[in-house]
Amino acid sequence: MPRVMVTLRLDPSQATLPEVVGLLGLEPDEVDPGFGVVPISPAEHRYTILVDEAAATRIADAPQVEGVFGNPRIEGFGPDPGSGPAG
Amino acid sequence: MRVLVQFRTSPEVHAATLRGEAMPSFAATAEAPIPGLVIDPAFNPVQVPTPQAAEPGASPYLYSPAVSFSLAPEEATYLVRGAVPDDPQGQRAALAEATARPEVVGVFADPAIGTCLVCPGDPAVGTDQDVADLLGVAALADAGMDGYRVPVAVVDTGINLAHLEGKGRDPKFSARRSWAPAGVATRPGKHPVGHGTMCAYDIGIAAPKATLVDLAVLLSQTPGETAMSGLLSDAVLAFSRLLGIVSGMAARPALVVNNSWGMFDPAWDFPVGHPGNYSDNPAHPFNVIVASLEAAGADILFAAGNCGRDCPDGRCRFGSTRPICGANSHPSVLSVAGVDTRKRRVGYSSQGPGRLDPAKPDLSAYTHFRGSGVYPADGGTSAACPVAAGVVAAVREQYPASVLSPAELRALLAKTAEDLGGTGFDHDFGWGVLDGTTLVAALAGVKRSRRRAPR
Repeated sequence: MPRVMVTLRLDPSQATLPEVVGLLGLEPDEVDPGFGVVPISPAEHRYTILVDEAAATRIADAPQVEGVFGNPRIEGFGPDPGSGPAG
Repeated sequence: MRVLVQFRTSPEVHAATLRGEAMPSFAATAEAPIPGLVIDPAFNPVQVPTPQAAEPGASPYLYSPAVSFSLAPEEATYLVRGAVPDDPQGQRAALAEATARPEVVGVFADPAIGTCLVCPGDPAVGTDQDVADLLGVAALADAGMDGYRVPVAVVDTGINLAHLEGKGRDPKFSARRSWAPAGVATRPGKHPVGHGTMCAYDIGIAAPKATLVDLAVLLSQTPGETAMSGLLSDAVLAFSRLLGIVSGMAARPALVVNNSWGMFDPAWDFPVGHPGNYSDNPAHPFNVIVASLEAAGADILFAAGNCGRDCPDGRCRFGSTRPICGANSHPSVLSVAGVDTRKRRVGYSSQGPGRLDPAKPDLSAYTHFRGSGVYPADGGTSAACPVAAGVVAAVREQYPASVLSPAELRALLAKTAEDLGGTGFDHDFGWGVLDGTTLVAALAGVKRSRRRAPR
């Protein structure tokens, strides 16, 4: 299932994965543990997590949730990989 | 705006044409000037043969079936060169005045023409030494600016240091600050030779003493269609690490972040207007962390992209919509377009306006030259971006963000760029191409007392 980014406003003491899973009522396997709880604007106590799309829809109205956002693919802007290495 | 004005025949015009002379006394300019239209007196009028349809009532401009042409003076028309105002209101007024005149057939665009622009797959134009000369790297070095001890993060496919050393480079490297997403088998500094190594080489043109930080986001093992892609969440993780690095530099913050990547296809994103959209949405978490990192003192550079109208990369799927989007168009970053070593825009360099900030790209830097040896040409705005990042890193050696904020440095780079294209800012070149020599002169007036002590 595709995963999306959910932005949260948290007290810094709550910015751990076990805390967030408990606060939002998420199942552990709905959250990407490798991604964790990432600070995106520490001064504003804003964080993001990576969760299954269905779980994001379920928690979208939680008071800590600011929004649900896409996780698009990105690619290098260099020569087309098909052009191959220089000889 | 330059225009061609087509006039109906008149005795004055015909006489001038026969004598091969300009038309200073031509009725439209001398006796009854058309407001807003300036006729070029140095341009001799050119007689235009008049097409005549083969059948009565048919259009003479379809050219099929074949039309005949008349050069009879009483049937011919004449072209002269002129100009109308650039501002839309003045331009509309001048065109309305001109086309209302009975002697005027029409007013047509007179676009600049030239040899073909460089396109994807074309041979390299010049070398990295040419780029160094054009950038004014010697002037930067003479002023003590070669990037010594300035960390430059390469957010890309990873760096191969052995390749750089084999090409005569001796970069400093911070393994401690480097990172790769989970599942990447190779280690920082020892990744396969590719796009990221090209970027690292091109940073070294202006900043050979910079300290490279390897963030191999595009080697992510998350699902993707090519071996050179990742997901935006990988970039969020990388930027979070950078935020930690720059926040720890309380005394003299200096961190340059090179991003030669972006989206080729809007279908990879939520649609514009969807609350989860990335391309047009400053509230997307990646756009938030970009702003946060810049506010902490980092200089963030993004390639403008390779979806220029003249010859876009085959992977582009933006069609006629704005291709400079998301963080590549963020107001807190330097968006870099590409020009070749002849100072001509490469045909694939994405044009503005940007989506988050319309005033994009910010400026241009050199690309499509023979350099790293990774590809036949260090090409794409992917190469222009690290060329510019090297200049920024060179400056940061002497002027940390505590002296010159990232926004102030972006403004100075724009102010000292060599203007290309139209006068001032335009959506092809931004403010022009980076000019290290002018930059050094301008920096001389910036709070010299707070510069780093000579090493």
